[in-house]
Amino acid sequence: MPDMRFAPPNPLRIADRASGLNSLSVRSHNERLVLSLLLQSEATTRLEIGEKTGLSAQTISVIVRSLEQEGLVVRGEAQKGRVGPPTTPLMLNSEGAYSVGVSVGYRNTHIVVVDFVGNVQHQRVMPHKTADTFDAPEALALEIHQAIAGLSESRQGRIAGVGLALPTPPIRSGPDHDVLHRYLETELRLPVFVQNDITAAAGGESLFGTARQLQDFLFFYLGARLHGRLVLNHQIYNGNSPLSYDVGVLALERALPAGDPSAARLWEQHPAWPPMGSALADWQQACAESLIKSTQALLQFIELKTVLLSSFVPPEICTALCKLVQQEIPFVNAVVGRTSVAPKAVGAASLPFSSRFMVN
Amino acid sequence: MTRTVLCFGDSNTHGQIPGGGPLERYARGQRWGGVLESLLGPGWQVIEEGLSGRTTVHDDPIEGVLKNGRTYLRPCLQSHTPLDLIIIMLGTNDLKRRFNMPPSEVAMGIGCLVHDIRELSPGPAGHDPEIMIVAPPPMLDDLREWESIFSGAQEKSRKLGLEFEIMADSLEAHFFDAGTVCQCSPADGFHIDEKAHRQLGEALAQEVLAIGWADA
Repeated sequence: MPDMRFAPPNPLRIADRASGLNSLSVRSHNERLVLSLLLQSEATTRLEIGEKTGLSAQTISVIVRSLEQEGLVVRGEAQKGRVGPPTTPLMLNSEGAYSVGVSVGYRNTHIVVVDFVGNVQHQRVMPHKTADTFDAPEALALEIHQAIAGLSESRQGRIAGVGLALPTPPIRSGPDHDVLHRYLETELRLPVFVQNDITAAAGGESLFGTARQLQDFLFFYLGARLHGRLVLNHQIYNGNSPLSYDVGVLALERALPAGDPSAARLWEQHPAWPPMGSALADWQQACAESLIKSTQALLQFIELKTVLLSSFVPPEICTALCKLVQQEIPFVNAVVGRTSVAPKAVGAASLPFSSRFMVN
Repeated sequence: MTRTVLCFGDSNTHGQIPGGGPLERYARGQRWGGVLESLLGPGWQVIEEGLSGRTTVHDDPIEGVLKNGRTYLRPCLQSHTPLDLIIIMLGTNDLKRRFNMPPSEVAMGIGCLVHDIRELSPGPAGHDPEIMIVAPPPMLDDLREWESIFSGAQEKSRKLGLEFEIMADSLEAHFFDAGTVCQCSPADGFHIDEKAHRQLGEALAQEVLAIGWADA
């Protein structure tokens, strides 16, 4: 029996020098640990990765080198610290990977393409012919093809996959979620990842948005209805809760006089809503109360410092709601999400990254 | 606390002047080991162990058994322990015609040295030190009067970078390809000149710091 120390070398990654992303199966647990840290912070160092993962400096060296070669990670300029030796920051290469996100909502289906740090590169809206009805998988596949075609050829080879954010309970009519999943995977020849839409939006904020540095926060999504998710230690708790409150845009729409032209504009992305008088003020109050009640109920059990409100509605409306929450619960920081263009679709786009690059 | 780096190499660590006589050597401040020490600054000590003609693991039938890097490495490590980092830059001499080695076997020789270091654990408090494998810059095509000794080595030398990196990857060691920052001097085609020493020392200082060292 040969001395196995001198068996032919068996490199983990280095020999794979094909351009583009490496295949799904070869990404090791340790590599995912390192990528998770990078995805959760603006910049880190090999020393910090070692301290947080317990991996040896040499193991990290090999992993980081292969990630650099793959184009996922870039090295910053060495920085002199106040104490100790200079440090070399590591960060994600924003052009290292791309992802497609799709969210099927009440009135619209959104399609986005984001880069590795969550910048939206492309955005499209497909309005549904009938509210609460989605029956156009072929048109969706075509939209995704077109979105991908908008990237340069080398970037097309760096698409990590397609994230699909779908509501629970399912959309009233249209293909079954599994059927849609399989159809898109066959049609696009890319891995497709499916998640509950609200959970996806929370994941998007956690990965790309305001909450990137936050371990724990309470997440609200204001859409047709108001939904909540709890994120503890970067993990989203109870990811499929169908519970929601009827204080969302749908409630506001109902409160408007029949035939009010403002109603349609509520569902489009406008920088501001038209004046709606007392209907808006009343709705805002009711919505804020629901936010406050949910937050207070949870505060009995957990010390939370941050409440995050994500929505496609105009930022000033979200800011006003956050202010109302803040007034009532001053020790909690209420903030507006960053991914305000199609938060659920951007969240969906975070799914291929978290599934392919992070530890669970 | 002082951190200690051992540079284990051949004539290009010794500081042999390209095209010069056997006794012509760059001064410490000109050699990459000296450049590295000055850039790392206080708190770091760099020990140079560069022997002209050193191979990874071979007794040299012409130049003698003393050129075998493997037999000298152990007493060398024990002399200098504790060591925080060992930088190995060897391989050029293994490409001499007399050894008839493919680049993959030269990398195996480097692998032997890594195993030997880890067996001895000459790091702080008996731990493994950090190990950095440095692939020497590829030889130039024109080796002047050395052509007969190295005949055929030029092409092999261009493959050492990948072979060494594969070895560093599978043994989990730090790796740097010197060919990315400097090249051999046209004076003899396989030694590095003062400029290349400086370029290599500067690049290695970055690499050493990038490893990440907890505050001493």
